[in-house]
Amino acid sequence: MDEDQSGGGPVTPSVSEARLSSVLGTAVDGIVVMDHQARIILFNTACEKLFGYTADEVRGQNVKILMPEDFALAHDRFVSNYLTTGEKRIIGIGREVRGKHRDGREFPIELSVGEAVTPEGRQFIGIMRDISARKAVEQRLAQAQAQLVSMTRISALDEMGAAIAHELNQPLTAIMLYLQAAKRQASSGSGADSKLVEIVDKGVNEAERASKIIQRMRRFVEKREPERRAVSVAPLIRECLELVTLGNACDGVAFSIDVEDDLPQISADPVQVQQVLVNLIRNALEAVRAVEDKRVSVSAGVRERDMIVRVSDSGGGVPAELVPNLFKAFSGSKKKGLGLGLAISRSIAQNHGGDLAVEQAGSKGGAAFVLRLPLYAVSASADVQGAGQEMEGSSE
Amino acid sequence: MTVHIVEDDPGVGDALALLLQQIGHEVVVHPDAESLFEDPPPAAQDTVIVDLGLPGVSGVQVIRWLSRLKASPKIIAISGQPRKAIEKMLGDDQPAILLRKPLTEEAIIRHL
Ligand SMILES: Nc1ncnc2c1ncn2[C@@H]1O[C@H](COP(=O)(O)OP(=O)(O)OP(=O)(O)O)[C@@H](O)[C@H]1O
Ligand SMILES: [Mg+2]
Repeated sequence: MDEDQSGGGPVTPSVSEARLSSVLGTAVDGIVVMDHQARIILFNTACEKLFGYTADEVRGQNVKILMPEDFALAHDRFVSNYLTTGEKRIIGIGREVRGKHRDGREFPIELSVGEAVTPEGRQFIGIMRDISARKAVEQRLAQAQAQLVSMTRISALDEMGAAIAHELNQPLTAIMLYLQAAKRQASSGSGADSKLVEIVDKGVNEAERASKIIQRMRRFVEKREPERRAVSVAPLIRECLELVTLGNACDGVAFSIDVEDDLPQISADPVQVQQVLVNLIRNALEAVRAVEDKRVSVSAGVRERDMIVRVSDSGGGVPAELVPNLFKAFSGSKKKGLGLGLAISRSIAQNHGGDLAVEQAGSKGGAAFVLRLPLYAVSASADVQGAGQEMEGSSE
Repeated sequence: MTVHIVEDDPGVGDALALLLQQIGHEVVVHPDAESLFEDPPPAAQDTVIVDLGLPGVSGVQVIRWLSRLKASPKIIAISGQPRKAIEKMLGDDQPAILLRKPLTEEAIIRHL
């Protein structure tokens, strides 16, 4: 509150007013001045555009017409509360609120309010900026991140499911066989112990139940086939880069994309391929974080019947001791990472009939990951039919 | 006949041996392919149960070796791997019998 400014009224009101109105007219932000009864005294050109009313239409009206209903109700209380208690809810603070356009549409605005004491009484000045665009970007980012998280989770779950199913299988197999041996022992010969046989039988049943659960889990995990569509690689790469750079700090990192002209489309599951690329680009970004010269590049081209996408970086390269198990789950060296990214990425590539490999760039430093995807769907799905059945005495 | 078990998981190997012995078979357990190769090769009337996921020399190589013996024994492959991984691993060397873990007494006896 600038009490001292209040006293001296303008000496030459005409000049000052003209200047004021030109300032207000050219201001990019919406500017509204209202009196202590919340009646609009001034409404600049930007406001006219923002709210769809002309200055003449709103002059003298309560400022509430610019607000959604719920907000308008609270506003009366705010104003009278402030005038009696001096408690500031918005003045000098600024906050995000919703405005209401003449046509009823609501939109987000950033509002800051100032106060002036004039010979005509207290006046309030509101400065408003339409932040719909910024909000839209924020929302898109949030969506993209949520999508990324959820697809990483799904695959992590698959990968983990497969790993757990395999790990549990071994002891379970041993348990079943031991129990079956015990049962034989208990029921054989003269000293057959029927009570013991019964108990071991129950144990066998439980072990079988556990084994069915594992089989079901395995079936579920194995069934997930890529949902193939015709995919254009170049836009996909761009999207992935955007996705990674939106969500991560990448100051000083030079990204480059080098895509051959007239790349054909490939038959692939775009969500899964995107996941692979996001993983690779994210890894590259993390690898260059610690070095001076930060470069991440993605290139794509056709080699014979395959699409080759290469993600390379100028980081420290993959530590030699990690290379042998690089694509195994939980092999990562990062404190934060699960170490699933590459394992999942490779299994996606292989599910597509392709592969994922690492190249150490050697002298140039850095690592390069090469994703190979067949241009056309290989008939992998043919021999997947009946993947649910156990295979016993299969082919000759 | 003798049943040779090539299985790196000691629990699975021991349990399987115990069960087969009870049924009345003579059983030899090898923790890896190398130890199988050290012994005299299995006879034609023998059965070899091979885990595909062996450390070192793989189960697939064991199967290839066995099936090229002049008088090759009966081969039963066992594996806890997902089906797709198994098929990929085996390529052209599909064994006559492939059982997936967890194994049951019933499934094994059927093939002995
Ligand atoms: N571009 C790279 N440069 C150097 N090292 C890398 C690169 N990409 C991967 N690595 C190494 O390989 C490990 C495994 O990578 P992976 O993506 O599987 O897991 P993560 O990044 O540790 O965790 P997650 O991806 O699950 O969050 C990493 O921890 C890192 O040590
Ligand atoms: Mg990673």
